[in-house]
Amino acid sequence: MENLPAIEVLSLHKAFGENRAVQGVSFEVGQGEIFSLLGPNGAGKTTTISMLSCLLRPDDGDARIMGHSIRSDGNGVKSALGVVPQDIALYEDLTARENLSFWGKMYGLRGSALKKRVDEVLDIIGLRERANERVGKYSGGMKRRVNIGVALLHKPKVIYMDEPTVGIDPQSRRNILDSVVALKDQGMTVLYTTHYMEEAQELSDQIGIMDHGQMIANGTHDELVKLVGGQTRIDLTVNAEPQRILGAWQSVEGVEQASVEDEKISLLVADSNLVLPHLFEAATRQSMRITSVDIREPNLEAVFLHLTGRALRD
Amino acid sequence: MKAFDIALKDMTRSFRSFFAVVFMFGVPLMVTGMFYLMFGNIAQNGGFDLPRTAVVIANLDEGGPEFQVNPKNIPGGRAAKTMGDLVVNILQSDEMADLIEVRFAADAVSARAAVDSQQAQVALIIPPDFSEQFADIEKGKAVIEFYQDPTLTIGPAIMRSILERFMDGMSGVKIAVNVFLDDASTEDYAQTGILVQQYLDESLAQSDDVEAELLDVRTPVSAKQSQAEEKQNILLTIIGPIMGGMLVFYAFYTGTSVAQSILKEEEERTLPRLFTTPTSQATILTGKLLSVFLTVLVQVTVLLLAAHLMFGIQWGDLGAVALAAVGIILTASSFGVFVNSFLKDTKQGGVVFGGVLTVTGMMGMIKIFAMNSAIAKTMGDTVSLLVPQGWAIRGLMQAMQGEPFGAVLFTVLIALAWSAAFFIVGVLRFNRRYV
Ligand SMILES: Nc1ncnc2c1ncn2[C@@H]1O[C@H](COP(=O)(O)OP(=O)(O)OP(=O)(O)O)[C@@H](O)[C@H]1O
Ligand SMILES: [Mg+2]
Repeated sequence: MENLPAIEVLSLHKAFGENRAVQGVSFEVGQGEIFSLLGPNGAGKTTTISMLSCLLRPDDGDARIMGHSIRSDGNGVKSALGVVPQDIALYEDLTARENLSFWGKMYGLRGSALKKRVDEVLDIIGLRERANERVGKYSGGMKRRVNIGVALLHKPKVIYMDEPTVGIDPQSRRNILDSVVALKDQGMTVLYTTHYMEEAQELSDQIGIMDHGQMIANGTHDELVKLVGGQTRIDLTVNAEPQRILGAWQSVEGVEQASVEDEKISLLVADSNLVLPHLFEAATRQSMRITSVDIREPNLEAVFLHLTGRALRD
Repeated sequence: MKAFDIALKDMTRSFRSFFAVVFMFGVPLMVTGMFYLMFGNIAQNGGFDLPRTAVVIANLDEGGPEFQVNPKNIPGGRAAKTMGDLVVNILQSDEMADLIEVRFAADAVSARAAVDSQQAQVALIIPPDFSEQFADIEKGKAVIEFYQDPTLTIGPAIMRSILERFMDGMSGVKIAVNVFLDDASTEDYAQTGILVQQYLDESLAQSDDVEAELLDVRTPVSAKQSQAEEKQNILLTIIGPIMGGMLVFYAFYTGTSVAQSILKEEEERTLPRLFTTPTSQATILTGKLLSVFLTVLVQVTVLLLAAHLMFGIQWGDLGAVALAAVGIILTASSFGVFVNSFLKDTKQGGVVFGGVLTVTGMMGMIKIFAMNSAIAKTMGDTVSLLVPQGWAIRGLMQAMQGEPFGAVLFTVLIALAWSAAFFIVGVLRFNRRYV
């Protein structure tokens, strides 16, 4: 049991008519890890999650959740699993407590154990104080938190969160991201989907990048960044004609590429910390002033661009 | 167990919705209450009193035929010398005393003046030649002038219906008088009195209660009751069917709107979420069906009880009513499931509420909703049986009218057959939809 992967996905396929939403997706998530599925709208993230939670029957392929096959052991899968759907799925005319208590019953909790667990979850999502208000009156962020709370009730081994931070205020977003990390600390396995690369970067042990129904890359953040060569981009502007400094900067050690676009000079460098002092020295020698510096560490955005030729966000 | 949890959750939601509760309980009781107030006012003791109408009579009848009427046949037991006296005596009888308050005026002008000055609601002016006319076909019809306060409706209407009944009855006598006079070709007024006596012997004496006789359209079919109960029943024979019709109509409304929560949960995304919990599809569907059934059960029970407590409606023998209620609950909830299984989403629900429910509801209860139309009455029995509402209301009406248990049972069994068909089709369709 210990070394068994929490989630093991074996070449899942799903088509909706002509639309091949998921085409041969495979990956593995170890127990206690956070795995992010990163991809633009329509990439197939939700379809994948739906198959992994036995809501959709795959056309082909299989997956095992804590050893239970999604094809042959739906109940085993559902019991091991907490699902946070992309769309808020709560009864707005019931209070948060009533919602949690109802969903707890659907996971087989009863009586005092249920009551105790509902209180615990209310604490986790930080809504104990307002538990007796109807969910319909909550802000978007509070609803999102209850939406997550429902999936925690039966202390599942594995939890899926499908874009849980869409359209909410920074404070709720922070609360949610922190709680995801807290879940991991308690040994829970998290499958997280998002199209915010910052979230994937911050949270994940492993990241799978999806596009057009396929997993186009899969690995740790560092591994993925290496795909684009691991270079940092520095964008600078100066108080003179950019062309005058371009040659000097190009010859600084560690600058691998330099170009000018509009008034902005872009450099690709291996390590910005080593390069930046030399850039300032060169400017001073030519009696120029650097008026702005923008350092862009290598990121998943760049990886996606590199792999697909498109930006992650439309 | 989980099915009950689902049902309980749905019921909490329904009964928490102001809108739903208004339609479940408020509207049917309110509509019935409106009729209740229209047909009578609630007395302190909760009983019912028709408003007492103040009548001023100017009896100018100078007489004609000699009456030899047995006073025991005339309400009040007073002898009558003229036809006018007969009318007055009947209106002054004890049985009428609850309905009308009689005063007299010396002439037509002062009688009308009493109405104009609102001291009376109706003035009756019996012309000098009333008796004369009554016996003579050549001189035209015997006419009583009926003069009413135009701003009032109920009191004068009751008065008028009493008089019309009376005049209708008397015209029977008049025809007989004329036939007799033609045959005899003589003006033997004394014979007229004998004819009137025969009429009274036959018709009025048949019923020892004039009021009941005069208002027999509204009198209950049930056995003899005390006078107070009878008054109550006049109202209840009007209110009972209306409440029954409202109850069935809104039970179907509730059945359909609660069953719609299956579609609503799909749109709220809570249905797919339910499918991600270790709860079988059969359990989920059972829970949803249970919630429809239980909600309608609560509604029907509360409405039956409330109508009994608020309006004093007697639904009939407990066993028969319970049976009829089961028929209503099952048809209403299965109908809801059936209809919704054909809808794609709740947006199409408006069609159901506006169209299907209204049309089938009207068909089923055509007799009640179109109370006074003769066509509706004759068509009612066939048309209403084409829709489940017709069978649902039929059972309740049978219970209310005290028909034998077997008759109610038969109706309810047919209602159950409707329900079974609706449930099977609905469940199969929903099952196919979510596999
Ligand atoms: N039930 C469905 N019927 C038909 N097509 C569907 C269905 N669900 C998803 N699709 C299609 O499958 C593709 C993948 O959709 P999916 O919802 O899995 O994407 P996603 O990565 O979750 O996108 P988003 O970030 O917008 O949530 C899309 O083209 C979508 O239109
Ligand atoms: Mg999605």
